Amino acid sequence: MLFLIPPLEKEDLKIIGHSLSNICYLSGALLLLPIIVAVVYEEFDVIPSFLIGSAASIFFGSLLSFFLYTKREMEVKHAVVMAAVAWLVAPFFASVSFWLANALSSYLDALFESVSGFTGTGLTVAVNIDHLPRSVNFLRHFLQFVGDGIGIIVISLSILGKTEISSVLAFKGEAKDTGIRPSIVRTSRIIVGIGLTFLIIGTFLFTIAGLKEGLDFGTAFFEGLNLSMTGYATGGFTPHSQNLLYYHSFWFEVVAIILMVVGALNFNLHYAVLGGKRREILKNMEVKILLLWLLVVGSLVSANLLFVGLYPSPEALFRKGVFQAISAQTTTGFQTVYPYHLMFMWPVLSVLLLVAAMVSGGCANSTSGGIKMLRVGMLLKSLVREIRQALMPKSAVVTGSFHHVEDTPLTDKMVRGAATIALSYLILFSIGTLITVGHGYGLEDSMFETASALGNVGLSSGITSPLMPATLKAVYIFLMWAGRLEIMAIFVLAGFIILGLRKGIKE
Amino acid sequence: MSKKIFSFAFFAICILLSTSAVGAESGKTLVENSANFDGKTVVLRGEVIGVMERGDFAWVNVLDGEVAIGVWVRNEDARKISFVGDYRHVGDLVEVVGTFHMACPEHGGDLDIHADKFTVLTVGRGLDRPLNMPLALLSVALAAGAITLALYLRHVRREREKMVPVPSY
Repeated sequence: MLFLIPPLEKEDLKIIGHSLSNICYLSGALLLLPIIVAVVYEEFDVIPSFLIGSAASIFFGSLLSFFLYTKREMEVKHAVVMAAVAWLVAPFFASVSFWLANALSSYLDALFESVSGFTGTGLTVAVNIDHLPRSVNFLRHFLQFVGDGIGIIVISLSILGKTEISSVLAFKGEAKDTGIRPSIVRTSRIIVGIGLTFLIIGTFLFTIAGLKEGLDFGTAFFEGLNLSMTGYATGGFTPHSQNLLYYHSFWFEVVAIILMVVGALNFNLHYAVLGGKRREILKNMEVKILLLWLLVVGSLVSANLLFVGLYPSPEALFRKGVFQAISAQTTTGFQTVYPYHLMFMWPVLSVLLLVAAMVSGGCANSTSGGIKMLRVGMLLKSLVREIRQALMPKSAVVTGSFHHVEDTPLTDKMVRGAATIALSYLILFSIGTLITVGHGYGLEDSMFETASALGNVGLSSGITSPLMPATLKAVYIFLMWAGRLEIMAIFVLAGFIILGLRKGIKE
Repeated sequence: MSKKIFSFAFFAICILLSTSAVGAESGKTLVENSANFDGKTVVLRGEVIGVMERGDFAWVNVLDGEVAIGVWVRNEDARKISFVGDYRHVGDLVEVVGTFHMACPEHGGDLDIHADKFTVLTVGRGLDRPLNMPLALLSVALAAGAITLALYLRHVRREREKMVPVPSY
């Protein structure tokens, strides 16, 4: 089939490279923000690491912009390849800052932390989070907010205001094709606006909770800001090694649940509700499935934990069982249970339910990962349609539809697309699990950690640590990257590279 | 690099202190054998990394170098703490003797220790974090160079655009 595809042209590379330069400029600018935090907390010694990361990013961007300059518009292939590469390039420059700040024990760990941040995963290999500079900790959380909470390409569109065609395509590449109209540039600004609104609300609520629970104002505000960024982004990084358990607080967990659920809802839904369509929350198929699945997983996990008698009270069942279920389903990764307890004391059924929640994920076009509820809904609707078709006379034509902001007929093309992504996802999940098992870990732990990396979740069975094998770190970096781009972009990039190698690049 | 070596040395000492103490359990041992220790009196030594007052009591998070555990102590004990560990401070090294809970019924199922005895063994201290001057100068030079290059290349590209009309596609 390769012979049917036209060979790559030099212009293709220019289009991708030139678009990438904007991401590099933006990445360079974003890496300057932690310097403000470093100045406030008098951590002057780590400022050079941010400056160097930023300078490297701007330097690389300016070279791309100059040598690969073109005025030609993007096509779908360029946008998808650009998004795939952007999600490697941006973490690379942030990893330089992590590495130079001595925040992690090796460069590979710095890259792992950076990819985990940008993709909103939340798995961490930081050796001693409690003693990290506050500015470095801020960068970890900030990466999740800009990378997964809003999307670095969305930010570049909202600031740089690219042309409509390029913008639409870039949106598709970043898996944030919300379909909100009339203008993509305006849409990207709405997404940024929604993110900032929830960031302010979340920071306020966490600060109040922090003050109530015995933190001083400065700490409550700073940690509240960080937790809001990662809560809304369904990222899961926290400023402490104990994760959310550090605060020993019901109220912190309640605020976290609000942000996780809000972050896991579709941007279209936020937009519709903001536009006055409040009933959309009750009518939207994806939201209904998400809430139903959350109810099922939360209830079953709690019932299972109650059955084995692990937790002593309904409050404990909620704060451990339901909280972990919400964290897994929204693909956040906030944790109120030690990883060892999760894997070795929780019953297998509960762990497998969390794996299922992580694999299925939150809503499409939200900050969450996984296969996404819209696709799950389409596949379930298609299954029902097939059963009905089998029961009807041969001449009968069974149609299906669903409500997602508007009533939409379920087409075969939609079902095929959803099935392709779901299948690719499950194949990668199986391969990741096998590789982890091959490194000597148990099947249950391996499934859990692979689902967490691929679904950009961040809950950990304890496998992810600075001591894990380097090859496994590399595999998880790939899984986090593939999961954030919903896999297809990776295949297109691979096809692009193979095409270039096989047919060369035409002038 | 010296910071990294210092950090590793510090935590190695912490781990050694906590595990070599007579009768003291490491945080990892407590977490991994929590069913065996549940309801029993344990001893934990480690660095204070967080204090939050709650009425007459306070949560003190204690890190033994590898695992941090929340300790529920009386306020008057918590107020003995001088330094909380972070990037700029080594926290007080404390010893806690108390009842271990795998899933505390009083605190929403948290794994914790209710302290009967709380002792500050070593008062913490502030850490000097000097600026690495060669790295600082290099970073300023690189930042200035990157911005200059970006502006220069932008200028050259605009000049070229004025001279050579770009073909339309």
